[in-house]
Amino acid sequence: MRKLLALILLVALMGTVAAAQVKITIFADDTRTPLMRELGAQYTADTGVEIEVVEYASTDIRTAYVTATQAGEGPDIVIGAHDWLGEYVTNGLVEPLDLGDRAADFSQAALEAFTSGGTLYGMPYASENIALVYDKDIVPTAPRTWDELLAVCRAVSDPDVPMYGLAFQNQAGNFYQFFPMLSAAGGYIFGYDAEGNLDPCDVGLATDGAVFGASLYQSMLDEGLIPSGVDWDTLNALVAGKNAAMFITGPWLINAIRDAGINYGITQLPAIKGPNGAYNVPKVFMGVQGFMVNSFSPNKTIAMDFLLNYIATTDVMVELMNQGNRSPAYLPALSYAGADALAFSQQAAFGVPMPSIPAMASVWQEGGNALDLINNGTDPATALQQAKDLILAAVGCE
Amino acid sequence: MRSQSPLFLAVKFILIGIIDAVAVWAGVGLVLQQAYPLFALLVLGTAGLNLAILSRRAYPLRYLLPGLVFLFGMVVYPIGYNIYIAFTNLQTGNLLQKSQVLQLLDNRYIPAPDQQTFTYTAYLDGNDNLLLVLEDVRGDTYVSDGTSTQSLSASGIDVTRDDQGRVVGVEGYQPVTGAALYQILARLEALAIPFDHEFLRLSGLRNFRTYMKQYHYDPETDQLTDLQTDTVYTPVDGRFTAANGAVVEPGFQTWVGTRNFLQIFGSAAIRKDFLRVFLWTIVWAVLSVLLSFSLGLSFALLLNDRTLRLRLLYRTLLIIPYVMPVFISAFVWRGMFNENFGIFNRVLDDLFQTRVPWLTNAMWARASLIFINVWLTFPYMMLISLGALQSIPSQLYEAARVDGAGSWLRFWKITLPLLMISLAPLLIGAFAFAFNNFTLIYLVTAGRPAVLGAATPAGATDILISWTYRISFQGGSGNNFGLAAAISILIFVMIGAISALGFRLSRRLEEVYR
Repeated sequence: MRKLLALILLVALMGTVAAAQVKITIFADDTRTPLMRELGAQYTADTGVEIEVVEYASTDIRTAYVTATQAGEGPDIVIGAHDWLGEYVTNGLVEPLDLGDRAADFSQAALEAFTSGGTLYGMPYASENIALVYDKDIVPTAPRTWDELLAVCRAVSDPDVPMYGLAFQNQAGNFYQFFPMLSAAGGYIFGYDAEGNLDPCDVGLATDGAVFGASLYQSMLDEGLIPSGVDWDTLNALVAGKNAAMFITGPWLINAIRDAGINYGITQLPAIKGPNGAYNVPKVFMGVQGFMVNSFSPNKTIAMDFLLNYIATTDVMVELMNQGNRSPAYLPALSYAGADALAFSQQAAFGVPMPSIPAMASVWQEGGNALDLINNGTDPATALQQAKDLILAAVGCE
Repeated sequence: MRSQSPLFLAVKFILIGIIDAVAVWAGVGLVLQQAYPLFALLVLGTAGLNLAILSRRAYPLRYLLPGLVFLFGMVVYPIGYNIYIAFTNLQTGNLLQKSQVLQLLDNRYIPAPDQQTFTYTAYLDGNDNLLLVLEDVRGDTYVSDGTSTQSLSASGIDVTRDDQGRVVGVEGYQPVTGAALYQILARLEALAIPFDHEFLRLSGLRNFRTYMKQYHYDPETDQLTDLQTDTVYTPVDGRFTAANGAVVEPGFQTWVGTRNFLQIFGSAAIRKDFLRVFLWTIVWAVLSVLLSFSLGLSFALLLNDRTLRLRLLYRTLLIIPYVMPVFISAFVWRGMFNENFGIFNRVLDDLFQTRVPWLTNAMWARASLIFINVWLTFPYMMLISLGALQSIPSQLYEAARVDGAGSWLRFWKITLPLLMISLAPLLIGAFAFAFNNFTLIYLVTAGRPAVLGAATPAGATDILISWTYRISFQGGSGNNFGLAAAISILIFVMIGAISALGFRLSRRLEEVYR
């Protein structure tokens, strides 16, 4: 019996040791997984290194990476968005990357998005932002100023049809979509400290410019030019029923717009005339997607080799960009970008990378609550001031 | 004890064999990962299992043990872990163990000034010993075994060279090239070879470069020293902190005693919003249970009438809300309550030219939520009432009828009191469930609409548990698990107290009618 046990133990040990073939693990979402598997097979054929791609739902991957890495079971590479970076860096879960002279191949803005405290932590592949998408059959020429937009809205809006001039996801809590209204005349999220890093104690959500934009938004609600309480499902229904002349949305809605048979155009948001008389194009949040490397990975060299020589190629970058009409972050792929992607990147010139510092958790929460209050008729100045106060309190800046 | 059939014995031993084999496999894995507490648990569990099955004296154990294992694994352990977390600083920024953080910091190197670059070739001998031949830009050649470096000429190692003088072979060693190199890259990456007060580290596939080590950790004094600036950091609150307050990221988990609880009780903001949220939580739980029980009981009484035709059909239809997944029905209801596009407001608009802010006005949102919850839970109340109604002896009703009691009086004096004996514990359970019904609140309103003048992210429909979620996971600077665990313990105490009160009341009920 004892001999038998010893034998079993030995066999089990050998099995564990023999499995030490070098392997790279990648966490990817369902869209990216097939391409990664294909490239992984190619890498295995070239180098003998096995590549395992673990597929996650795009909504789960962010936390799955944290949980797995914390438990020492994290992948070598995770594919994600730059706004996860703050959480990852603060927790020590991602490794600084050195792209060397390849850095010149990437858009400066995209690299900046993946930079935290002056250190680069990700290799970007695509960026996305919202812009104005309009129905050319109803709005032949896109409005260049907000006054023109209001004129179009007043001409076409009819709540009985229902028909709206403009629609975007403004349901309670969607601060991402609300930000352009605040930013046009001078609202911002966080200012910068002396070293050029974001300063969570400088919140610009209640500036005169932000209040001005929010009041403009509220007056449009009151006038019935935009519907309130539009969530993702409602927005899709509005698109399918052609119930709005213009949308503020991102590349993720383009397929639905095409399916609805809308003769659409994409352009930058109309400029808003601020209280000081100057016209400013509303700034939108830019989201950048990229690859990050686990700080606990024992195979960072191989991971970087895979990223730089198998992912950062024009063919692969073009394919990654085309998965969802995103704008490329890899400059050689730019000339292959489709018309839609190029049109969205027009607005990207007026984009700011979503701040990725952990204090953003409070901004999403309280900025969303401010939108909620404004939707329900609260005076914008009061609502935004409350958001600012609560963010400062939650972050500990009092 | 009766003798066992050979077949039974065979199955028994095969099963034990499989269980033990799995345990051995898992045990080896745990030892290799140095997870000794789990390993001890595994050994104890497996030993207990074997004892229970093999020993005759431990016969009763085999019925108890599975239950005990699940009780421990699914109830005791999570509760214990939750309590433990409540006394730690586990949160964004303090996620890793101290050992993990030290591992990261120990591996932190910065490029040396005037960084030198070496090309290298790796060699292995028959015993898997490593030899690196490194060449710098000037053409000087060095050899290293991974722990030290010396110049090739001084080492006395026999090498073969090509006609340009490059080293192409080492006596007794095989060069590692092509795919084989990838297999040892992890080994090369882990190296930090002392070289002239600096360290050689792998940099890319083809090079070693010179680096300087950034930190030194002294386990004796528990101090971290920045080797470049000589700054000394000591652990404060889960973060290596210098005398001037500068910290080294990342932080690590550490015990903080009652700090999380003090934060709850000491925060003026939390105290300010607590009463409002608590009152709504009580109203929500009480009304949900009362209304759904009344509705469920009414339907049960109707369905219990034997003269009613198509009873089975009605009963099936009425159970549907209970069978539908709440994830679907919550979204459907949210859509129907939508202010602009929902079916209710479309009908109201057509008929009366008016719209109700179902989910955006505080009072309406609360009413809508209770309505949805009643819709979701009344079938459960109906089912348990139907069962309990069967157990009421019909003689009681006959006697009451003889005494001249009408149906109304019979309901209040016989049906309801007798029902309450068996249903009161279930109603208390339903109350506790509604008290903590995070899912429905989160899916329908997410605690919104927001409240003007709130001091924390507490919306008009936030109950305690969803408020907890917003404070600890959506506010501040990321996730604060320690705080969430502390609040959940307080909520547990509240529900415990309310339930204990409920049980005492229902026991009084029982005694009266016994």
